[in-house]
Amino acid sequence: MAKSDTPLLDQLGGGKWPSFIDDMKQAAKKKPMAKDLLGQLELSYKEKIGHWKHGGIVGVKGYGGGVIGRYSDCPEKFPNVQAFHTLRVNHPTGWFYKTEALRNLCDVWDKHGSGLTNLHGSTGDIILLGTTTDHLQECFDDLSAKGFDLGGSGSALRTPSACVGPGRCEWACIDSLDTCYNITMSYQDEIHRPMFPYKFKIKVAACPNDCVASIARSDLAIIGTWKGDIPIDQKEVAAYAAAGLDIQKEVCNLCPTRCMVYNGRELKIYDEDCTRCMHCINLMPKALRPGPEKGATLLIGGKAPIVEGALLSWVIVPFMKLEPPYTELKDLIMKIIDWWSETARSRERIGELIKRVGMRTFLRAVGLPALPQMVKSPRTNPYVFFWPEDIKQKEVK
Amino acid sequence: MSEDLKAKVLEAFCQRSKGEKKMFYIRDVVKWFPDEDRHAIQDVVKALIEEDAVKYWSSGSTTYLVLAECYPKE
Repeated sequence: MAKSDTPLLDQLGGGKWPSFIDDMKQAAKKKPMAKDLLGQLELSYKEKIGHWKHGGIVGVKGYGGGVIGRYSDCPEKFPNVQAFHTLRVNHPTGWFYKTEALRNLCDVWDKHGSGLTNLHGSTGDIILLGTTTDHLQECFDDLSAKGFDLGGSGSALRTPSACVGPGRCEWACIDSLDTCYNITMSYQDEIHRPMFPYKFKIKVAACPNDCVASIARSDLAIIGTWKGDIPIDQKEVAAYAAAGLDIQKEVCNLCPTRCMVYNGRELKIYDEDCTRCMHCINLMPKALRPGPEKGATLLIGGKAPIVEGALLSWVIVPFMKLEPPYTELKDLIMKIIDWWSETARSRERIGELIKRVGMRTFLRAVGLPALPQMVKSPRTNPYVFFWPEDIKQKEVK
Repeated sequence: MSEDLKAKVLEAFCQRSKGEKKMFYIRDVVKWFPDEDRHAIQDVVKALIEEDAVKYWSSGSTTYLVLAECYPKE
C-alpha cells in the first residue's frame, strides 16, 4: 500500500463523523489548489503552527470588504495556495435557495476558485474559500451576473441575517425575512465601505426562541415578541396531561419566573410576570400561543470574545412595532451607530463601549428612556446608577 | 464635498505616513481634524478611495486606511 502524504489528516478523516478532510480530498482530485491546501494543513499539524498570513487585499472595485486576503507563508512548498483569498457572499435572507442558485454559485466557484465552500460562515454569509488575486474581480462580476453580492467584512456593518421566520415557522411574531432584507438594502454603503470603529452585526429572530442566537451573536438583536396574555386552550392542556406530559414538572417548574400554576385540571398564567421565554409554548404548542399584539424587542451589545470577553445583549427597547418601512427602527440604528462611531475606541464593540461608559450614558445619547426591562440582573444586582439631577433631594428634618 | 478638505486629508495622510506607521483607523483620520464634522471626513476618505489615492487594508476583522503608495506589496 502506498504511503499517504497526509497521515495526520487521515487520522482526522478516520473518525466516526463526516470530516472536512474527506471533502478536501475529493476536491483535491480535480483542483491543485485543494491538493496544496491539504499539504499545508498537514504541515501545520506536524509543526503545530499555522502557515497562513492574514490580511491585505480587501475587495473589488468600489468595495472595502467582502474579501479576506490570505497568503501562504511557505509558497515555495505549496505554490498553488500562495494566494488563497476568501470571499464572503451575502446569503439570501433566511438561507432560502433554489437549486438553480446553488448550481450557479458552484459553477462560478469552480471556474474561479478552489471549489471549496463553507455554507455558512458564523455571520451567515456564503463563504467561498480560496482564490487568487487575479480572479477576484472576475469572480465578483460573475457572481453579480447571477444575482449575488459580496457581504460585509472588516470594520463595517456585517451581513445582516435572520431566521426563516414566517417562511416556515408558526411562531414568527415579526417578518424577520422582510426586516432583514430591508435593513440589508438600506445600509449597502455601511456594508461595503467600512467606516466603523469595528464590526457591527444585526440579526433578526422572529420569536423569542431566537434560532439565529441573535442575543449572543449580534451587536443589535431584533427579536420578535408579543404584548398581552398568552391564550390558553384548557381542553388541549388536559389532552397534554392525558398524553403523559407532566405539566407541573416539565412546564411550571421550569418556567424561569414561575409565573404558571397548574392545579391538575387547569393551567393559569400570571402574564405580568412572564418574560416570554417560549418554554411553555414550545412544550404545549396546541394549548398555548403567543399573545395577540406582535412586535419586537431590541437588544444591544452581544458579542463573542475577541478583544474582550463575550457579552450577551441587553434590552434597550422592550417593544417596538415592526412594519415597513421600519422608520423607527432605522432612526434608532443610525443614532446608535453615530454615537458609537463618535465615542468608541478603535476596535471597541458597542457592548464593550456601553460596559465602559454605562448604560445610562448610552440611553441619554440615543434618546431612549430608562425602563424596568433594562435592569440586566434584577435578582442579583442591586445597583442602579442615576443621574444626579434625577434624584430629588429630600429635606431632612 | 470640499476639494479643499480633500486636499488637506490627503496631505495629512502623506505627512503621517512618513513615519513607521502607515496604516490608520478611520478614527485616527477623524482625530486629525478635530474641528471638522466626522461625516465630512468619512465622505472625503471614501472619495480618496474611489480615486485610488487611499486604499483599504483589512485583516478580515478590522479595516485600516493606507496611502496607496505605502500599500504593502502582498
